[in-house]
Amino acid sequence: MHLRVYRYNPETDAKPRMQDYTVALEARGKMVLDALLAIKAQDDSLAFRRSCREGVCGSDGLNINGINALACVTPLTGLRQPIEIRPLPRLPVIRDLVVDLSQFYRHYRAVKPYLINLDPEPERERLQSPAERAELDGLYECILCACCTTACPSFWWNPKRFLGPAALLQACRFITDSRDQATEERLDFLEDPYRLFRCHAIMNCVEVCPKGLNPTAAIGKIKALLVKRAL
Amino acid sequence: MRTVAGARRGLDLWLWQRASAVVMALYLPAFALYAAIHAPLDYTAWRGLFDPLIVKLATLIFIAAALLHAWIGLREILIDYVHVLGLRLALYLAFGLLYAGCLLWAAAILWGTA
Repeated sequence: MHLRVYRYNPETDAKPRMQDYTVALEARGKMVLDALLAIKAQDDSLAFRRSCREGVCGSDGLNINGINALACVTPLTGLRQPIEIRPLPRLPVIRDLVVDLSQFYRHYRAVKPYLINLDPEPERERLQSPAERAELDGLYECILCACCTTACPSFWWNPKRFLGPAALLQACRFITDSRDQATEERLDFLEDPYRLFRCHAIMNCVEVCPKGLNPTAAIGKIKALLVKRAL
Repeated sequence: MRTVAGARRGLDLWLWQRASAVVMALYLPAFALYAAIHAPLDYTAWRGLFDPLIVKLATLIFIAAALLHAWIGLREILIDYVHVLGLRLALYLAFGLLYAGCLLWAAAILWGTA
């Protein structure tokens, strides 16, 4: 099996290069992560992130044959060879396939991804009806792998100012939550030509999300709430 | 609780773009129907279509909507691609003037048929 892997060490290399690898691996039933681990066994200088190896931790978001995906849940069968593996686009490379996600997390932090509720804490818990809880389906499952945000052209053009699909999905998640009391404050923050309105519904985010979520719909919901509030 | 507010802009233009799209979506089939009723259309009949004041006004509103729609779309593209502020503002203005000129020109054509 042939793979071409992006190699770059900013401290020693003048520029990035693609390195070819051949690994003896039966593709059936194996994932891209298995191939990367096989490469690591023969060349331990290759750096990449991985942890849970089952699509839950979101560590191994990579650009595989041009499409952002989690290496651990992307089957090797069906991939054109040589399989080109690059780091997530538009983020600074720390080494090889490891990118600096600081910007991504700054946007995540900016949307205050936690419940804001100034009522005194109840004895046991803040209750929701099953219907209110169901509103969060499709929003809370995000694992912050950054596949969507780094696939978004609007993020590529304005990475510092556009929050990106992942952060906006989380913004929508807390706006939607019946227990949250800061909806107005959250909408105020988002009503901005850059933070929210750089989204042109390109929908790359929907295409690549390994959890099958729909950030574009969440962004549409935020826009609808802004319109409702304004009119 | 307004301390972390955004620029509180963006929504207005986004809404205007949708509103102008609605105007175009209403006008185009209505005009197509209106023209179909008056078929066959030779040059005189085509000119005649724009004689009633209501048609002149509707057409002018349609053109204004199309130009506004185009300008807002162009603004989005410029925000995405032109990051030099001075150049971007100059381009906003240049296209704004161009489109305003187009609107005046359209008005002159519409009222020049009488």
